[in-house]
Amino acid sequence: MNDRQQEYQRLIAPIEDRMMRAVWRVLRDSEDAEDAFQEALLTVWKQWDRIVVHPNPHALVLQICIHAAHDVLRRKLRRGRRLEAAAIPEDIPDPSASAIQTISDAEQDAAVLRAIGNLPKNQARAILLHAVEEVPYKAIAAAMKCRESTVRKHVARARTKLRVLLSHLIPSVPKEERTHA
Amino acid sequence: MHDDVDELIRRRTQVEIPAEVEDRLRRRLAEFRVRVEQRPPSRLRSFAYSLMSPPVLRPAAMTAVALAIVAAGLILVPRESRASQVFAAAANELKSAQSLQYTVVLNSDPYVGLDFAYLAPGYRRVNFSWGMEVRTDGATGRQILLMHGIHAYLNETGKTVESQSNIDDFSAQLRALPDRADDVLGEQWTGQQKLLGYRLSKTPPNGSIPGLKTMDIWIDSATREVHHVDITVQEKGKPEHQMHIQDIRVGAAVDRSLFDLTPPAGYSAFVVPGAKSTTAPAAQAPSMEVPAAISQTAEVAAVVLPMTGSYAQTAAALGTVSDWLDKKGVTPTGPPLGRFWSDQHWEAGYPVPAGTQAEAPLKVVTLPAGLNASAVVGGAWGKDTEARWGAFLKSVVDQGYVPAGPAVEIWSGEDGKPETQSTGMRIPVEKVK
Repeated sequence: MNDRQQEYQRLIAPIEDRMMRAVWRVLRDSEDAEDAFQEALLTVWKQWDRIVVHPNPHALVLQICIHAAHDVLRRKLRRGRRLEAAAIPEDIPDPSASAIQTISDAEQDAAVLRAIGNLPKNQARAILLHAVEEVPYKAIAAAMKCRESTVRKHVARARTKLRVLLSHLIPSVPKEERTHA
Repeated sequence: MHDDVDELIRRRTQVEIPAEVEDRLRRRLAEFRVRVEQRPPSRLRSFAYSLMSPPVLRPAAMTAVALAIVAAGLILVPRESRASQVFAAAANELKSAQSLQYTVVLNSDPYVGLDFAYLAPGYRRVNFSWGMEVRTDGATGRQILLMHGIHAYLNETGKTVESQSNIDDFSAQLRALPDRADDVLGEQWTGQQKLLGYRLSKTPPNGSIPGLKTMDIWIDSATREVHHVDITVQEKGKPEHQMHIQDIRVGAAVDRSLFDLTPPAGYSAFVVPGAKSTTAPAAQAPSMEVPAAISQTAEVAAVVLPMTGSYAQTAAALGTVSDWLDKKGVTPTGPPLGRFWSDQHWEAGYPVPAGTQAEAPLKVVTLPAGLNASAVVGGAWGKDTEARWGAFLKSVVDQGYVPAGPAVEIWSGEDGKPETQSTGMRIPVEKVK
């Protein structure tokens, strides 16, 4: 096994599944996901020499994947494409409780993705890495090339914004906050 | 309070990837993996690694490297385009290559080619298509010329096709390409291969191709390896012509036996009389023609002093033999001569009448009768030795013969008077079968 093969085994192989999931979770569309994944791999290729010596290469690679996926999501929202189209089943055989639940879930997923898509880049990256990928603050800071306190601020601001945008899905949010939303 | 938002995001993003999408993404990953595994090594990173070992040095080394990179980024190094990165990667691969093989085509009609191989730590092998092969061993400094008659191609003009120094220059130039090209030439397709072209308009470091006008380097976009090089030469007063370096193999397995200095069957090892045994590129040979006369010659007896080492001992050796002959009252039958078996084994002495006896360390030797090539060149002894022997041997090969024994030089004229001096060149030959 040559040096490059060893590097791949160390840097990418252990997180291949996480990389794919990180992109899919944000996009839920095969073409968009493939575009974003390709974009992410290109960035990883360009930054390979940096990644190899990075103190937390896995966090950095995941951050690159999330960034690429978020970029595509934002472009999609700007173009006004309806996220629900891909998520909501077109054919609903019967109005049973399970079918209604399916629609409800799809609407909620779309609302969450739309809200994430409306977050500023750094806030979106920080909250997705922290809340979804469960990457520690310190590793996120290394991946985003900023201080840990800055990451905490990004996450806090993202939460605040999401709390407002998704108030109708969060039972604990007071009614007046929902009204403002 | 934060948990509810995090929990919502987490719950709403926990979805499985459809199998079809996963297949597509895995294909992308597989392509990416191939590219990574073919990626040339980064010298900068190797340097960084070396700085970080042992670990106790890591903080200081990281700081130093970071500062250096920041300084370079801010002050020295402009942002590189993808094109320049491709060129830099290919140049780096050549620099760090453990082996390098290529073919130089000087003229395609008639074909004159030279196969070259380099193997670290300094072995070189040049195979001239017209029947001469040069092997050098960089570690010991040994060099041999091998003559063979399998490919007796010559260009039409009969001029010297190329000097060894130029061949070495190609190797040095390929291994010392700058990190940046002067121009980007665009794309070129050969079958399914996309090549990216780069032009150097100045002689690369360590290079000395006379009249170099441009050096176009074509790099395979997929592998980032140099595919071929087109060199345009425009010497003053001469028509423009091109040379091509092709069949470039970087880091490929090379048969080490090719660099063995033991001549293989069918080859004749040949020592250039007076030439220094060195791997340093020789000065470019002046254009010279030394026609060889092929004839049957009679046997010659000589009293010689066997020698090893530097040819600078020639005058002293001849003095020893001359003193002994005077003392014994033997009159030489001709001017002094030297016979060269190898750089570690040669003889100097005088021709003597048949039947002469010698005492150690001197000895009587016989230059056997047979087919010999010979020529006489006027001028100071030892002048242009390599050039005139190269031209002489080329004439031998040109006539369909190859050397079949050690070279002999015969020195006529007066010592200290170059205008009276001439050198006879003689070597046993046999017809190419």
